[in-house]
Amino acid sequence: MIFELGRILQEYSDLFSFLRLVNYLTFRAIMAALSAAVFMFVFSRSFIFHMHRLGFQDQERDTGLATHDKSGTPTMGGILIIGAVVFSLGLWGNWTSPFLLYPLIAMLWHGAMGFWDDYAKIRRGSGNRGMSERMKLLLQSLFSAGFAWAMVGPLSPVGPEMATRIYVPFIKYPLFSLHPVLYGIFIFLFVIFVSNAVNLTDGLDGLAITPSLFVVGVLGVFAYVEGNTIYSSYLFYPYLRGAGELTVFAAACVGAGLGFLWYNAYPAQIFMGDTGSLAIGGTMAVISVLLKQEFLFPILGGLFVAEALTSQIQDKIGVRWLGRRIFYRAPLHHNLQHKGIAETKVVIRLWIISGLLALMALATLKIR
Amino acid sequence: MISLLGVLAVLLAAGVLSARRWRRALTAPRRVLLTGGGTGGHVNPALAIAEAIKEREPDARFLYVGVAGKAEAVIVKRAGYPLAFVSSRGFPGMRPSPALVRFVATVGWGILQAAVILVRFRPHWVIATGGYVSAPIVSAAIFLRFLRVAPVRIYMHEQNSVPGQMNALLGRWADRVLLTFPQTLSYFPKNGVVVGYPVRHAIGAVPREEALQRLGFRLPPQRRVVFVFGGSQGARTINRALVEALGHLAEHRDRLFIIHGMGLARSEDYHAAEDTERLLRELYPDQTLDSFSDFYYRQDYFHNIADVYAVSDLVVCRSGAGSLNELARLGKPALLIPKANLPGDHQVMNARAMKQAGAAEVLFEDVLLADGRVEIRVDSRELASRILSLLDDEERLSQMALRSRGFLRRKATARILSELYQDRLYDNGYALQTVESGPPFLSNAQLLRRLQAAHASNPKDYDPTEVVGDLDDLTYYRHRAAALLASPSWQVRNVGVKLVGLTRYEAKVPALLHMLRDRTPVGRLKRLLGGDFEQVGFIRRNIVTALSVIGRFDSSVEAALLEALDDPYYEVRAEVCRVVPNFAQHLAGKDAWVEALLRRLRDPSFEVVVEAAKALGEVGVDGRALDALVGLKHAFHWQVRNAALMGIKRLLDRRVLRPCEEVLRDVNRFLLTAPDFRPTFTIRENYNAIVNLCRRGNMGREEARQGRSDLEVSRKDA
Repeated sequence: MIFELGRILQEYSDLFSFLRLVNYLTFRAIMAALSAAVFMFVFSRSFIFHMHRLGFQDQERDTGLATHDKSGTPTMGGILIIGAVVFSLGLWGNWTSPFLLYPLIAMLWHGAMGFWDDYAKIRRGSGNRGMSERMKLLLQSLFSAGFAWAMVGPLSPVGPEMATRIYVPFIKYPLFSLHPVLYGIFIFLFVIFVSNAVNLTDGLDGLAITPSLFVVGVLGVFAYVEGNTIYSSYLFYPYLRGAGELTVFAAACVGAGLGFLWYNAYPAQIFMGDTGSLAIGGTMAVISVLLKQEFLFPILGGLFVAEALTSQIQDKIGVRWLGRRIFYRAPLHHNLQHKGIAETKVVIRLWIISGLLALMALATLKIR
Repeated sequence: MISLLGVLAVLLAAGVLSARRWRRALTAPRRVLLTGGGTGGHVNPALAIAEAIKEREPDARFLYVGVAGKAEAVIVKRAGYPLAFVSSRGFPGMRPSPALVRFVATVGWGILQAAVILVRFRPHWVIATGGYVSAPIVSAAIFLRFLRVAPVRIYMHEQNSVPGQMNALLGRWADRVLLTFPQTLSYFPKNGVVVGYPVRHAIGAVPREEALQRLGFRLPPQRRVVFVFGGSQGARTINRALVEALGHLAEHRDRLFIIHGMGLARSEDYHAAEDTERLLRELYPDQTLDSFSDFYYRQDYFHNIADVYAVSDLVVCRSGAGSLNELARLGKPALLIPKANLPGDHQVMNARAMKQAGAAEVLFEDVLLADGRVEIRVDSRELASRILSLLDDEERLSQMALRSRGFLRRKATARILSELYQDRLYDNGYALQTVESGPPFLSNAQLLRRLQAAHASNPKDYDPTEVVGDLDDLTYYRHRAAALLASPSWQVRNVGVKLVGLTRYEAKVPALLHMLRDRTPVGRLKRLLGGDFEQVGFIRRNIVTALSVIGRFDSSVEAALLEALDDPYYEVRAEVCRVVPNFAQHLAGKDAWVEALLRRLRDPSFEVVVEAAKALGEVGVDGRALDALVGLKHAFHWQVRNAALMGIKRLLDRRVLRPCEEVLRDVNRFLLTAPDFRPTFTIRENYNAIVNLCRRGNMGREEARQGRSDLEVSRKDA
């Protein structure tokens, strides 16, 4: 809103020439982050108590750990996060850009899905019995399929030509170009995997949000580089016209995330719930795909990948097929807890790891 | 979808054309459409009903509808009724699968055929006796009637105490569901009537003396006679168990006589007579076998079965509806051996119904895994002792005979006719509505959940009988659980192991131990990914738990546990350590165990070390345990150090160790953080304190109430 207004006013009269600031991505990004954070500070408190009164609280679930009971904390904080992002983009975003619309649709879709899941859990009074696994997968597939189709088709914000090229970290040039159908299948699986990974990571106070901040922040930097002709040619990145809008989006997410962490830090007053974790996961996946950094994700979001893999290996290969545990517990953070590391310590250690991974990912900007 | 629409369209068209003609046709002689089959057990009741109708209305016309190639094709043709075929197949379950698709297609086509048959034959009555064979006709009839095309009355007959899938699903739309067992009324509260089991040529009661004349073999006087048979075809398990039991029964040869109907089975799978003869020769030397003849007589099949029934005091047989009907008609006490793993466990339910009526006893089959093959058998020793104890108790036998006589409705065909013609000659079943039909059996998953909850809430006084409520049901559950142990799928075996443990099935301890020690490796792919044996890690872990729940301790259990302490899977090792306290009074001070546990303190998995340290506190009797535990003071995981402290504490409690300065000096080194480190969260603590207070208060009041009632009881007693 301010973005549009600023542009109109500054053309209208020299009196508003200072408003040309809105043309600067960095300015808009910083303002987006700030306003999202302010939104969180203003509304969180009343939201938390509202949820508390409604009884929208986390339900008991079976984690296989003796000392793990989080039931009773208000949940669905994802609504706040989504609200803050939408609000701040409303102020500072360029709503005509597909680079804003795609991740936003991803966020809303996954958020709605997560809301359904959370609501089902609350209604049934059990943290293990949310939306059925099949339904969840179906909804995720619907979105991913639609997104994959849009990416390789004429609606593609990066152009269908560019879309199917495969960029790999540490290598300057695209390795090869995949067939659109194959690439579509690839990103279909990628989006489902990432959104579920964040969902699985969201198990301890503050564990999902901080690594997400790192990931989204680094992706924002990549967006700035790839959306800029000079930087992109200097660093040998494909120039993606308009991708800078993703910087604003990422900044809004970072602001909202910081504001959320304020209340989510141990002992948490609110959880993001599936509403938040699926929304963030879906958004991260879509941004990575839009920036052609799908293969950076295993490094950048290594923590999420590890969480998802441990969980899947333990469940699908170990418990269901081999008939034994492969890790003591899964996912990763429960394994660490099982070894007797206190929750806060587990969380901070995993933050450190994800921070280091984010640094490594940033290093790929230059090392290639 | 399209085929479904097609079905609808054809039915509608045919209906409009034929509705009027059908109504007019109702004044013509009676037309009855019979259906049901798959096995003789469904066909014969239908024919019995047909015969009764024919007797009453000689010009009635009949049409039997079945599936080609099934029992009805043979039996009905021989009985001389016109026969038509539709296509149908058994319901494979709701799980999406190719079988389900085939089922939908076949039955859909079958319903179409059935609709055509119905429209052309225009019956007054449709009488269905169960089995998937009857599904198309019944569905089509219900559908046509719903469209007001077919003014037809639909009757179903259920032979067993648990309704088959077809009857359970479609029964609610039938005009009457004719039942054999009063227990089944709870499934059809609106339209169920108890009529009994219709038979064509009912076996009549024969006077004993007359029967003796006709028997064809000499029956020594003053003997109690047991008639053992497994249906007309014979049952392998019953035949084998009886042959084995003869050895035990031979001691009592002067007071009993056994008549054995081996069965007519001549298939490749089982040749009843040959198999039995072979086993007899294998087990007994020739002269012994010859000497058996003064108390044992065997024959393939008794054509004069009424005479055999008449002379026998006890019958040992299967609990199919037909057999039970004969028993009830003649008033014979029985020892029933239900065939396991039938749909809905209906033989078990039949047997339970008869047992509840006080007319029979039940002996279950055991499913065993022997040399990699699944073997179903009955314990011969148990069979012999049950037969003998029943024969000894004459009063009980006569009481059972009395109860048996009143167990099933008599004059079933007449009662059915009275329902068909609606002449109210008999009052069928409504008065019986109050019959207590014991609770349905729990599924394995439900049972497991219930037992686990009970065990978790109070492991000390855990008693599965209390949870299940009835000792006989528990026996059945135990057998069902044991049958799972032979499954090829490890997930199923795992459930079996848990259930065997939680039902405290002590007789299966050797089987569990065998599984625990079984080292058959799994396929290479699984081994690459971390699998080891066919009896997977979870199973071995759960076997250890089960052994502890069962609580039996002998040298074989000890040896197996000691071996499991070196199992390649860490959870098994940890679990063995965890159950050590339960067996502590047997294990304390045993050198082998102390050594083994000391070895476990160097285990690569910290979880095992933790449990081993705690276990050492239970069995340690000398300085070795203390030294080893103190040696853990520099362990990296705090849980290991914690467990070592717990072990030392236990040693102190057990007075193996005297509290002294020396211990204190060692213990000092255990804390890595400051000793007063204590995370605080006051609001939670206060909340928890209040919760605990209130809960305890509640419990206190309950206890007080209990105490008072106890007091009253004792006063009354005094």
